[in-house]
Amino acid sequence: MDINTKNLKKNAFRVTKVRGYTASRVRIPGGHLNAEILEKVADIARKYGNGTVHITSRQGFEIPGIPFELIPKINEELQPIIDMLEINQPVRGEGYSASGTRNIVACIGNRVCPYACYDTTAFAKRIEKAVFPHDLHFKIALTGCPNDCAKVRMHDFGIMGMTMPVYDPSRCVSCGACEKYCRRKSVQAIEMVNERPVRNEEKCIGCGECVLNCPTRAWTRGEGADKRYRLTLFGRTGKRNPRLGEDFIKWVDEDSIIKIILNTYDYVAKYIDKDAPGGKEHIGYIVDRTGFEEYKKWALKGVNLPPGAVVYNPLYWKGIKYTEMTL
Amino acid sequence: MGYRLSKDGLNAVLAEFSRHYKLYAPHRFPYQGEHSDTDSIRYAEVKTVDEIELGEKSSHTFKEALIPISETLFFFTEDNIKESDPVHTGAIIFLRSCDLHAVKRLDEIYLNNGADDYYYKRLRNNVKFVLLGCSSPFENCFCVDMGTNIINEYDASLDVRDGQYYVDCKASDWNSLFQNHAEEILDVVPSHVDKTPTRVSLPDTNTIDTVTVIKSSMWDEYDSRCIACGRCNCSCPTCTCFTMQDIFYTDNGRVGERRRVWASCMVDKFTDVAGGGSYRNRYGERMRFKVLHKVVDFKQRFGYQMCVGCGRCDDVCPEYISFSHAVNKLSKLSKEGRKQ
Amino acid sequence: MSLNEYVPFLSKILSVQKHTDIEYTFRMAYEGSVNPGQFFEVSVPKFGEAPISICGYGDGYVELTIRRVGKVTNEIFEHYEGDSLFLRGPYGNGFDLDEYRGKELVVIAGGTGLAPVRGVIDYFASNPDQVKNLKVIAGFKSPSDILFFEDIARWKKTSQVILTVDCGEADFECHIGFVTEHISKLKFADESNAVAIVVGPPAMMRFSTLELLKMGFEEENIWISLERRMCCGIGKCGHCKINDVYVCVDGPVFNYTKAKNLID
Repeated sequence: MDINTKNLKKNAFRVTKVRGYTASRVRIPGGHLNAEILEKVADIARKYGNGTVHITSRQGFEIPGIPFELIPKINEELQPIIDMLEINQPVRGEGYSASGTRNIVACIGNRVCPYACYDTTAFAKRIEKAVFPHDLHFKIALTGCPNDCAKVRMHDFGIMGMTMPVYDPSRCVSCGACEKYCRRKSVQAIEMVNERPVRNEEKCIGCGECVLNCPTRAWTRGEGADKRYRLTLFGRTGKRNPRLGEDFIKWVDEDSIIKIILNTYDYVAKYIDKDAPGGKEHIGYIVDRTGFEEYKKWALKGVNLPPGAVVYNPLYWKGIKYTEMTL
Repeated sequence: MGYRLSKDGLNAVLAEFSRHYKLYAPHRFPYQGEHSDTDSIRYAEVKTVDEIELGEKSSHTFKEALIPISETLFFFTEDNIKESDPVHTGAIIFLRSCDLHAVKRLDEIYLNNGADDYYYKRLRNNVKFVLLGCSSPFENCFCVDMGTNIINEYDASLDVRDGQYYVDCKASDWNSLFQNHAEEILDVVPSHVDKTPTRVSLPDTNTIDTVTVIKSSMWDEYDSRCIACGRCNCSCPTCTCFTMQDIFYTDNGRVGERRRVWASCMVDKFTDVAGGGSYRNRYGERMRFKVLHKVVDFKQRFGYQMCVGCGRCDDVCPEYISFSHAVNKLSKLSKEGRKQ
Repeated sequence: MSLNEYVPFLSKILSVQKHTDIEYTFRMAYEGSVNPGQFFEVSVPKFGEAPISICGYGDGYVELTIRRVGKVTNEIFEHYEGDSLFLRGPYGNGFDLDEYRGKELVVIAGGTGLAPVRGVIDYFASNPDQVKNLKVIAGFKSPSDILFFEDIARWKKTSQVILTVDCGEADFECHIGFVTEHISKLKFADESNAVAIVVGPPAMMRFSTLELLKMGFEEENIWISLERRMCCGIGKCGHCKINDVYVCVDGPVFNYTKAKNLID
C-alpha cells in the first residue's frame, strides 16, 4: 500500500492507529448545521466506515474505519455537505481541504441563547470565508458573551460578544434590577446614584445583564446593529506553555477583527520558524520571539478601529511554562 | 362616518393631526429588544402610518402617554418650587380595544379615587383615541372573557386591509378632514375578535371568601418561580402605582426636583415603611396581591374588573408565569371554597 | 384646572419638644381643621416626603411627632432649627370622636403608636365629662423610649393611665411588661358597650385586639390605625393598598370589623 500521508492530511483524512484505515474529518464552521447533514454523516459512517462517529472538540465529525481506497468515494459523498455548509473549496468534488487553520468554533450564540450578544455562527462563517483554506496553524473561536462558554481564551483569536448598553433615563423606574444583576452576576459596574443607575464605562465588560433584566427598556442595545466584541490573543493549549489569551482590543467591530486576522497571516508567513516540525508553530511563540510591538505593528496595519474601541497595551501572557520548571 | 383611505391619504390626515396633537402609537424599535437582534415594540411619537406597528402586540402600552414612566412634578430652586411642563398639551393615541378599556381604569384611579391627580388630568384633558382593529387574537389575549374585545367609544378607528386603510370616524370635527383625503365613503365597522385561544374564568367577587383565598397554598409555588422583576407591572395597561422621588442634582446640590416613577408591587421595597418594616416579602404573596388587585379588589371597590385581558404580563414573563392560569386556579379555588 | 394636591405649602416650625434622641414633636403653623389620627406628608425638598401623623392640634398649629428613621427625617433633624418644613395634607380619615362620646373608652398604644392617638386622649382627658371613663395603656420598649411623659402625667389627673415598659425597672410611674399583660387587669362596667382604640406595631395590635375580644368587647367597638407606606396620600400611588382598601384615603383608622379582613 502506497499512501502519501502529507496529501492525505491536507484532504482532511487522518492516519489512524489501524493500518489501512483512515478517518474522514468533517468540519462544521460555527458549529450550527442543518440536521440533514447529520443524516449524511450517518450514511457515510454506516456505508463506508465502522458505523461510529466521533464528535470532535472543534465542532466537527470524525468518521473512522474507512479503508484508504474509498477516499475518492467519500469525497464524492461529502460534496453535498460541503455545499450546504458553503465551505471554501479549491477544487469541487475533491473533499475538504484541511490544513493548518482549524475549524472556527462558536458557542450556540443568539440563534438560541438569550445571553448571546450576536449570531456567533454567522460571524464564524464570515471569518471562514475570509481565511479558508490556509496552511498556517491558526485557531479561532467565537463566543456570544463574556461567559465564554466556547473557551475562546484558549485560542489564538478569541472573539467575545459585547453589548454596549444605552440608557434612557426617561424610561427608568429605579427598580435596581440592572444594579443588582451587574453586582451579582457580573462586574459591579453599575452604581445607583440619585435613584438612577450610573455605569462605569471602564469597568463594564458588555455582558448585557442590565439590558436583559430591565423591565422597561430603559437599557437597550442602542439603535442599530453596530456589533462590538472583545478580541483576545494567543491563548493556547499544548505541551510547552499552555496559557489564556490576553485582551487586545475591547469594543472592536467585525471588520477590524477580520482585517487583524488576515494581517496576522502575513506576519506569521514572515516570521515563522522555517524549521518548525510539520511547518506548524503556535503564533504565540512567534510573538514571544519578535516582541509584541512588532506583532502589533503588523496586526493593526490598515485597520480603522471604530470610535470607542480600546486597545490594551502592553500585553503580557502567563500560563504554565513546563520548560522552565524545576522540581 | 366611514372612509377608505390610501396610505398617502391617511398620511395627509396624520400630518394634519400632527399640527395640533402628538400622535402616540405602537412602534417597532429595531434591535431594542431584551435579547440581541430582537426588536422592541412599544409606544412612540409617530408622524406617518408606516411608523405604526399594526401587526404585532406591543410589549409596553399607551399608558406612557398619560402617565410618563418618569415624570417630574416640580423643580426646586433655592427658594422656589416651579411646576414642570407637561410632555404634551394634546395627544391622539392609537390603541387596541383592550387598551382603550384600560383608559377607563386609569381614569378611575387617577380621577375618581381620592382627590384628582393634577398631573394625570393635565395630560388626559386633551386626548383623543383611535381604535386599532384586531382581526385575530394573539397567543395570550383573553379580552373576550374580560368583555374588553369590543368598544364603541372612540374618536376614530383604523383597520388595514390589502394596503387600504378603513376608518370609522366618530369625532364630528374630524369628518371633513377624512372626507377630503378619502378614496371612498362607506360604512366601516372596526374589526374585533370574538374568540381567543386563552380562556379565563373569573371568580365571583360577591361570594369570594377573600381570607381563605389569601391564606391558600395556591400562591406558594410563586415564591420560587417568580423573580420579582416587575416586567408584568411595567407592561400592564392598568397598573397605576408610582413612587415619589426627590433628587438634588449632583452638579448643583442646591437645585433639584420631585418626580414620580412607575412602581411595581412585585419588586422589592414597594411596601417598605420608614424604620425598616415591610409587607409581602414572599414573592407568592406579591403574586397573590397583584392577581387579587386585578380581578377581585378593584371590582369590589369600583364595580368592574381592572384586568382588561391584554395578556402582556404573560407575554413578558421570563419565568413563564401565566397570569391567566393563576386567575383560573383562583376561580376554581373560590368555587370549591363556596361548596364547603 | 383642578388643584395641584402635590404642591406642598411652607409651614413654620413654632417649637420643638424632644422626647428621645430620635423622636421629637414639631409644632407647626397650620390654620384649618384636622382630626387626630390624620396625617400630613412632610417634606424637605430634594430629600423627599414622609407621612407623619398628627399627634396634637390647637389654634393655629398642628403637632407632628417625627421619628428619625430615614433620609427625610434625618434631614429634618439635622437642619430644622429656626426653619420651616413643607407640608401637604391633612390626609386620611382620623379618629371620629363621636364614636367614643358617652362611653367607656380604653386607648391602648405601643411606642410611636401613641402619637396618632394622643389627640384623642388629650381631648377626653381634658373633657372627662364627655366619656363615662377613660383608660390608657401606653407601652414602650424601655424607660428611655417613653414619649409624651408630661402629657401622661397630666392625663393621670382625670383618667386611669398605665404606663409600661417591656423591660427596665418598675417604679411609681411605670410598670413592667407588654401592654397585652395589662389589658385583662382593666375593669369595665360593661365590656360589651365599651369602646377601644389600639395603635402600635402589628403584633402588639393583633394580640391586644384578641385580648379585648376575649374580655367581651364587640368587634365593632374596636378601632385601630394602620401604618403603611403612604406615598401620595391621595389614593393614587398604590403603596398603601390592602385588599380593596387604600389606607391613605379610607384609613388609616379602621373599625376592627373591616380591619380584621385586611391581610397584606
